[in-house]
Amino acid sequence: MMSSKQGKSGASRRDVLAGLSAGTALLAMPWVARAQGETIRIGFPTPLTGPFAAEAKDQVKSAELAVKLVNDKGGIAGRKVELLVRDDKLNAGEAATRTLELIEKDKVHAVVGALSSAVQLAVNEVTRARGVIYVSISQSDTINEVKDFSRFTFHEALNPHMTTAAVAKHTFKQGTKVAYLVADYAYGHEMLRGFKRAEAALGATGVGEILHPFGAADYSTFMPRLRSMRPDILCICNFGRDQANAIKQAVDFGMKQQMQIVVPVLLHNQRLAIGPEAFEGVIGGANYYWGLEEAIPSAKAFNDAFRAANGGAVPTDYGAYGFTGVYSLLLAMEKAGGTDTDKVIAALEELQYDIAKGPQHYRKCDHQSVQSVLVLESKKKADMGSEADFFRVVATEPASESILRSCSELGLPA
Amino acid sequence: MTLSAQSLDAGPRPLRARLAARRVPLSILALCLLPWILPSEALAVNVLVYGLVAVGYNLLFGYTGLLSFGHAAFFGTGAYVTGIAIGRFDVPWFAALALGVAAGGALAFVIGLLSIRTRGIYFSMVTLALSQLVYYIALQASSWTGGENGLRGFTVSELNLFGWTVDFLDPVKKYYVIMVFAAAALWFVSRILNSPFGSVIEAIRENETRARACGYDVERTKLISFTLSGLICALAGTLFALHLAIVPLDILHYHTSGMIVMMTLLGGAGSFFGPFVGAFAFLLMEDVVSLWTPHWQIVVGSVFILFVLFLPKGIWGTLMAWRAGR
Repeated sequence: MMSSKQGKSGASRRDVLAGLSAGTALLAMPWVARAQGETIRIGFPTPLTGPFAAEAKDQVKSAELAVKLVNDKGGIAGRKVELLVRDDKLNAGEAATRTLELIEKDKVHAVVGALSSAVQLAVNEVTRARGVIYVSISQSDTINEVKDFSRFTFHEALNPHMTTAAVAKHTFKQGTKVAYLVADYAYGHEMLRGFKRAEAALGATGVGEILHPFGAADYSTFMPRLRSMRPDILCICNFGRDQANAIKQAVDFGMKQQMQIVVPVLLHNQRLAIGPEAFEGVIGGANYYWGLEEAIPSAKAFNDAFRAANGGAVPTDYGAYGFTGVYSLLLAMEKAGGTDTDKVIAALEELQYDIAKGPQHYRKCDHQSVQSVLVLESKKKADMGSEADFFRVVATEPASESILRSCSELGLPA
Repeated sequence: MTLSAQSLDAGPRPLRARLAARRVPLSILALCLLPWILPSEALAVNVLVYGLVAVGYNLLFGYTGLLSFGHAAFFGTGAYVTGIAIGRFDVPWFAALALGVAAGGALAFVIGLLSIRTRGIYFSMVTLALSQLVYYIALQASSWTGGENGLRGFTVSELNLFGWTVDFLDPVKKYYVIMVFAAAALWFVSRILNSPFGSVIEAIRENETRARACGYDVERTKLISFTLSGLICALAGTLFALHLAIVPLDILHYHTSGMIVMMTLLGGAGSFFGPFVGAFAFLLMEDVVSLWTPHWQIVVGSVFILFVLFLPKGIWGTLMAWRAGR
């Protein structure tokens, strides 16, 4: 697996080998002329093992598709693109090590990936110190804030603030009573904070919050307490398997007859795992749903390419991040005519792209991708047109900075 | 510096004994070669850091015979204190390092006081519970530790000491700077093991009742051993923080404690260099196997089971025993 390609800079143990082969190097002068043709390497750390493995695998498939599409068109300025996928094991320390390896050993030109708030912040820290471009594709509010801001980092995923703002806008009303069941870690806390803010703005009232440990299997003790709060909406702020387990048990307790279940992000894979009955009528946000293809041509093109490459399967929500993250970066590299860091950053800041879900661009101050947020409702089994026809698009919150926190609120110059 | 009883004998000593007497320089030589053997420097530093934790743990587990399940607490405390000292108070790196070691050592002393009087499985449970306490403190005190998101914002890009400047972002230089500390710690551990104190802790491991009957203060000796072990783990923690420039919350999780035990067992508990071999084998396996299959856990797990079943002395321990047997 060791790359034998010579890096352009950086002292390493290869320096010793370089000394031995100094004579040979002279003969290899033509190699210098071909440096322009050097492959563009993109590092892709993602949790292939652990509770988010299903989402991670979708991300890899989509990211590989983006690379393939660009290579089929002849690459970038004649250079091929290569994706180096690494398992970060959903562990921030492991991710930091892997990113160091990608930068120091594999000499990647940019890093895309990570699927957890803590892990992406670790990758962000490593890339920031070394001036390497990083496109993060996992939800986080923290990464936008001034303390973690990096000139080299772009946040392609939605953030909890915009997700909850869009979901609340289409579900909360004046006087709605909302109860929250929240996973007790960064993701849950940030989602709750977003909903609370929207709640105050929309005139809804919170009637209670219950925190549950990350990875909990049993939610039965929480349900009677939530019911006694008599909410109109039960807002379940958790991710992955936790979401499926919590919704299933809420349904078993008959909560759906008394209240609407709302989640910040309605997950394709969890709906797939649990089936239509439990999820029926649940409303939540999403960055992408394949059903967009009826309305948006770029979604159709993305779906078709994905189907062709993956035996007819449709891309998922978190998978789509892998595609948009890598593809937007490659578009910017194309504009910049190569991998020069400053030029690529400038190109990313200027980029207007529509590659899967309608128009997107990176806001200049915090490098957050301004994009649409979908609000989805899970369909009844009888209404499903096909195997993968899970959701109905209730509303599309258009790409606008108005659902983001302002630059000054984040502590950044506008 | 590593004079032992054998040097009193005038006659020529067997190779093994001569090697044992030079174990510190030999170990350091092996560590010098590490970044040239492993696929990347980042991995080499990890081996160094985890090897050092395992060496610290080995002092307690391998030599004193106490199975602690809470050593992540000292490892993590060292890392967090160093990170907070640099990130929040702008303390110079060497002072932050000293603070991290001191804090980890102090915590080890307190946890040691509370747990040392229990034995066997109860000792393991008490240390596990107390280290989980530290985990939850770090999780809740998120304004200090960054909570779930981990501690960030203390990247040290160059080291300054006595007018010298080292580019700490250069992987090779970083490795050798960290190795200096690991080497010092190895010498320190070797010195302890060669001292009368070293013999006492081994005596306690072999037969606690007899050690007590000989007049040794068993509780005090165990406490000192526990604290020293914590100190070395805390040093490893501070180096981890400097290396990755982040402190993930996972560092305090009991999984980390379990990993330390696994590395020590894999390399060979109760052998001087075994823990480093264990960390080397464990991390290399994880790194290389996970590159070609997402099912790396099956491979690594099977190897571990095979070792426990057929080589209970660990890689290094078996090698040493085999040499001695010839």
